[in-house]
Amino acid sequence: MIDLHIDAWRAWAPGIDDAADWAAWAAAPHPVVDRGEQPACDFVPAMQRRRLSRLARIVMHTAWPLCGDDEQVPFVFASRHGETTHTFAMLDDIGREAPLSPTRFGLSVHNAIAGQWSILRGQRGESVAIAGEADTFEHAVVEATALLGEGASAAIVVVAEELPAKAYDGWIDDVPFSYTLALRVSLAGGGPRWRLSLGENTGATPAAGEPHALRFIRALHHGATLDHPWKTRRWTWQPIA
Amino acid sequence: MNDLERDIARLIIETLALEHLGVDDIAPDQPLFGQGLGLDSVDALELALALQNRYGLKIASDSRDARRHFETVRSLALYVQASGSACAS
Repeated sequence: MIDLHIDAWRAWAPGIDDAADWAAWAAAPHPVVDRGEQPACDFVPAMQRRRLSRLARIVMHTAWPLCGDDEQVPFVFASRHGETTHTFAMLDDIGREAPLSPTRFGLSVHNAIAGQWSILRGQRGESVAIAGEADTFEHAVVEATALLGEGASAAIVVVAEELPAKAYDGWIDDVPFSYTLALRVSLAGGGPRWRLSLGENTGATPAAGEPHALRFIRALHHGATLDHPWKTRRWTWQPIA
Repeated sequence: MNDLERDIARLIIETLALEHLGVDDIAPDQPLFGQGLGLDSVDALELALALQNRYGLKIASDSRDARRHFETVRSLALYVQASGSACAS
């Protein structure tokens, strides 16, 4: 069982960006169509921005304001599928026996975005990059809590997925559109308190449907308990008064 | 700037995603790396690959001359010309 404060959060999906957008979406969810749009990230100098993938941009766009320029905050990057766009392009190169782009290769590794965050924000502390199953979000929060347990006063957790190439249809069924959720969490901050507990799932695993991290955004708005069964695990999120 | 130099400048912009620059923003004698345009070692690898694909240039990474050839757009153009395969498109 984990108790933590969610001191700030930001999220992005195509057409849903600021707090008002998310409040409206939480009240009345609507289908989201991914047309490849991405945040401008014009707070990043052009020479650095050119190396930000779409996935990296949505991460920077949401996480950036959660970290002050004068503080060091541990960073947890979580993505089940990672840089599928880079991976698919490289598989295509390999199929054509063409040499791989060194830049693409370097930026395709799972901790590349955490590395870019570290460089762009001057963060010299811990950073973690994880990939899990459908409960990647919960595992990321467990990871962040471990960092808080080691003495960090706050941690940033970002879960992000990019709509993959058509070729992944039938293989990736839980990313209907690109999205990211960034949280700033602590053990003793001023934000709303939430309890995450893990039990055994004895029922079936539900179909993928809506991205789980976005269900959590709705729970945040409504202050409502959220259940997340996956295989043998059953995660429960509860607001604590 | 001659045609080959323009072609190389365009290749640099496209290959290295320098979307904020136009061909005329890269002077033929402007240093590409470090204090000049600001390219780094990853760019050097990427550019070597692009030059190989476009002009058939083979550039050994341990070549002592590579650093000199990669100094500016002009030095790259001279190198492409000297290699005698500048007609590729």
